[in-house]
Amino acid sequence: MADRPAPTPGGQTPSEVDAHLAGLTDDEREVLAKVADIVRKIQFGTVVLVIQDGKVVQIEMAEKFRLR
Amino acid sequence: MSGVMQLEPGTAAVAPAKFSVRDLVKTRVRGAGSGDGESFVAVDHVTFDVRRGEFLCVLGPSGCGKTSILHILAGLDEPTSGEALLDGRPITGPGPDRAVLFQEPALFPWLSVAGNVELALRLIGVPEAERRDRAMHWLENVHLGKFADAQPHELSAGMRQRAALARALAAEPDVLLGDEPFGALDAQARELLQDEVQRVWAEREGHATFVFVTHNVREAALLADRVLVMSAAPGRLLEEVRISSPRPRALDDVLVARVVSEIHEQLMREVDKGVAHEMDL
Repeated sequence: MADRPAPTPGGQTPSEVDAHLAGLTDDEREVLAKVADIVRKIQFGTVVLVIQDGKVVQIEMAEKFRLR
Repeated sequence: MSGVMQLEPGTAAVAPAKFSVRDLVKTRVRGAGSGDGESFVAVDHVTFDVRRGEFLCVLGPSGCGKTSILHILAGLDEPTSGEALLDGRPITGPGPDRAVLFQEPALFPWLSVAGNVELALRLIGVPEAERRDRAMHWLENVHLGKFADAQPHELSAGMRQRAALARALAAEPDVLLGDEPFGALDAQARELLQDEVQRVWAEREGHATFVFVTHNVREAALLADRVLVMSAAPGRLLEEVRISSPRPRALDDVLVARVVSEIHEQLMREVDKGVAHEMDL
């Protein structure tokens, strides 16, 4: 138990995450890459994925900055 | 690439500044006119830019100085200190490049609806032969084509504000400034106007800069690319929210609803502080 790698925020081990990522389609990878880009840029905010017919058709976001 | 549309903060995010407000302070006098009023700070060291083609809403509780800021941008008032620049030059007065939409539509009651729009066109030098066509185009755009020959008093409050919007837009100004423009309207009329405004702003495709001040959180989240949230008096900037979501937006869009609830919470804390402050006095 002590050797087990720390789980990711999603509760999976890194190797489980890798296995999961390997099984993704190109479209799914593209969406995840875009979401990751946004997460890297935003400190505080919200990201909304709009899904139609089982596909992400739009990524919307709101970003918040404290000014004082 | 699949067809996922990622909405980056619009092209306005990288466009040059239309307005630059630097360290703006505005003091006012309580009970001005009586001669012995005490002065107070309405706007307290506020700095922000508005980029060309952007739709910015300045949001804050009553008395936070947001109208003072708008009047300074319109050239109707001057900063006490700090500066307000338009295209990099100090604002020295009003101009036809900046239309202003007030809470009460200031239509001339002795002119017809079309006459009001035509007058605005005459003032910017549009030849008489073109005025009627251009006025009708904009009246039809706000669904008032059938009321062109009506007098302002024959229209409902919402229709009068639509006529004022048509008059403001007919001159195709670079900038539209709105001072609580839909504040006096009933909910349905306000919704119609908000739709019209979103549509005409989007049609100008980055050429028109809109700055509205409002205390209506939903209106700000619905309309703006960027919302500046102000504190209760003295008015300071508290936070900025950038919203990247396509138009036309609706109040029940997930992102809009979420932004509304977050800003609302922030603003309620400010209102509480304002009430607490007044009770201390």
